[in-house]
Amino acid sequence: MLHVHNASVFFSARDGRVVHALDRATLDIDANSVVVALGASGCGKSTLLNAIAGFLPLSDGSITLDGQPVDRPGADRGVVFQKDTLLPWKSVLDNVALGLKFAGVPARDRRERANELLRMVGLDGFAHSAPHELSGGMRQRVGIARALATDPKILLMDEPFGALDSLTREQMQELLVDVWARTGKRIFFITHSIEEALFLGTTVVVMSPRPGRIVARFDLDFVRRFAQERDVRAILSDPRFAELYDEIRNLVHRPHDRSHEGGDRPQ
Amino acid sequence: MTDLASRGAPHAAPTAAHPKRVRLHPFGLDGAPTLLISLTTGAALIGLWFLVSWLRLVPPLFLPGPEEVLTQFLAILDDGYAGATLGEHVSASLFRISTAALLAASFGIPLGLAMGLNRWVKGVFDTPIEFYWPLPPLAYLPLMIIWLGIGELSKIVLLTLAMFAPICLSAQAGVRSLPIERVNAALSLGATRWQLFLDIVLPSALPEILTGLRIGIGVGWSTLVAAELIAATRGIGFMIMSASHFLAADVVFVGIGVIAAWAFAFSYGMRLLERALVPWKGKS
Repeated sequence: MLHVHNASVFFSARDGRVVHALDRATLDIDANSVVVALGASGCGKSTLLNAIAGFLPLSDGSITLDGQPVDRPGADRGVVFQKDTLLPWKSVLDNVALGLKFAGVPARDRRERANELLRMVGLDGFAHSAPHELSGGMRQRVGIARALATDPKILLMDEPFGALDSLTREQMQELLVDVWARTGKRIFFITHSIEEALFLGTTVVVMSPRPGRIVARFDLDFVRRFAQERDVRAILSDPRFAELYDEIRNLVHRPHDRSHEGGDRPQ
Repeated sequence: MTDLASRGAPHAAPTAAHPKRVRLHPFGLDGAPTLLISLTTGAALIGLWFLVSWLRLVPPLFLPGPEEVLTQFLAILDDGYAGATLGEHVSASLFRISTAALLAASFGIPLGLAMGLNRWVKGVFDTPIEFYWPLPPLAYLPLMIIWLGIGELSKIVLLTLAMFAPICLSAQAGVRSLPIERVNAALSLGATRWQLFLDIVLPSALPEILTGLRIGIGVGWSTLVAAELIAATRGIGFMIMSASHFLAADVVFVGIGVIAAWAFAFSYGMRLLERALVPWKGKS
C-alpha cells in the first residue's frame, strides 16, 4: 500500500514569498485501485505526484510504499509524464527497455520484455521507429510501456493525456483501463478533466488551490464496470455519472471556505 | 479504361493535373534554396577579379590575376615553395591542427561536462577560461615562445588554447540544455548516477559538443597563420608569411585558397559527422 500521511510542501516563490503548495494531504492507494487527483492548476496535484515519485522532498509529513519511506526516485514507482520524455537517440524498443538496461537485464531478455509491452499498448511494428516518427498519442503509449517495464509497484501519471486531442485521449483512456485490468497495477493519476477522473478513478480526490489540499473524496465503480462491459455509452449515460459530474464541478469551482480551519495561510 | 480516362479528361485535366498550389505567405528565409544564388555570386566575384586584373585597375603586384594565381599554384605543386613541397606544407599544418583539435577535445569536453554538472569545477575554471578566451592568440603568442620555445610544442599549444574554449563552453551548454524531466524520468527508471551520466547527460549534450568542435576547428584554422609565425619552416601559414616578405601576392593567394579549401572540407566533414551521430537533432 502507498500511504501518504499529512504531507505538506512549502516552496519559496521567485519574489521570495512562501507558497503553500500542499497542505496536510493524506491518501492511501491500495492494490488494484486507480486514485485520480483532480483540480484546477495550482491545487498541488503535481506537487503531490512529484513527492510520491521522490522528485521533491516534503516539508512535513511522510510517504511510505509498502512500509518503506519514499525519499528519492526509484524503479518501484513508474512515472508517465505529461511531456514525453523519450530519448530521441534511442529506438522505441530501446526506450521501453531503458529501465531494464539500468537494472542490468541482459539485452535479449529486455528486448523480449519490451516487445511484449509494445504489443500490450498496441505498438507492435513500431519497435524500430524513432520517437520523433510517432504521433503524440503513440509516444505516450511508449511512455506507459516504458514505465511498466521495470514492473513497478505503482504507476504515477501526471496529466499524461493532457496534451492529446480529445479523440486520441479517449482511446488512451480505454487503453489505460485495459493495461490496468491486465496488470492489476495501482495507479495514481492526475487530471484537470472531471470526465476523465470519473471514467478512470476507483477513487477520485478533489483538490483545491492556495493552499493545495484534498477537499473531497469519491469512491467510484465506473472504471470496473467499463473494464468488464466495455461500453462507454452506458457509463456516460448513467445518471449517476452526470450527478457526480455536477457535484464535482461545483466543488472545483466553489471558492473554499477556510474560516474554520485557522489561519495557517502563509503571508 | 482508355475510353473512360479520355472521356473524363476534358473535365478533370485542367484543374486536377495542374492545380494552382498555394501555401501560407512565408516570412524571412523559410527554407528557400540559396545554392544557385551563392554559386552565381561566387562566379560574379571571380569574374570581377578577372575584370579588375585584365583592366589593370590595380597593379598586379598587389592583386595578381586569377590566371597568375593558378599558374603559381601549379608551379608550387610542381616545385614546392621555400624548400618544401606543397604536400609537406599542407601536412605540417594538418598535423598541427589535428593534434591541437584532439588535445582540445580530450581536455575541453570532459572539463566542460564537469563544469556543467559541478558547482566547484564551474567556479574554479570559469574565471581563467573567461579571462583568456576573448584574448587574440597573437597577444599571448610571445609568451608561448618565451615559455615553450620555438619548436612544434609552442605552435600546438597555441592552437590548442584557441580551440579549447569554444569546445569546453559548448560541452557546458550541452549539459545545461538537458531538460530536468529527462533526468527525473531516468531516475524513476532506476538509473544510477553513472548510468544517468552515460545514457542521458552525454548523449543529450552531444549535439552541442559537435557544434563546439566545429567552431573550435574553425578557430584553429583562423589561428594557424599566427601559430606558424613562430620560427616555422613548413606549413601553409608559414608559406603565406614568408611570401609576404617578398611581396609575392600570388603565393599569398595560393596559401589563402589552400587554407579555405581545407577549412571548408573540415567543416563539411563535421556536418557529415553530425548527421551520422545526432540524426535526431532539431527533431525533438
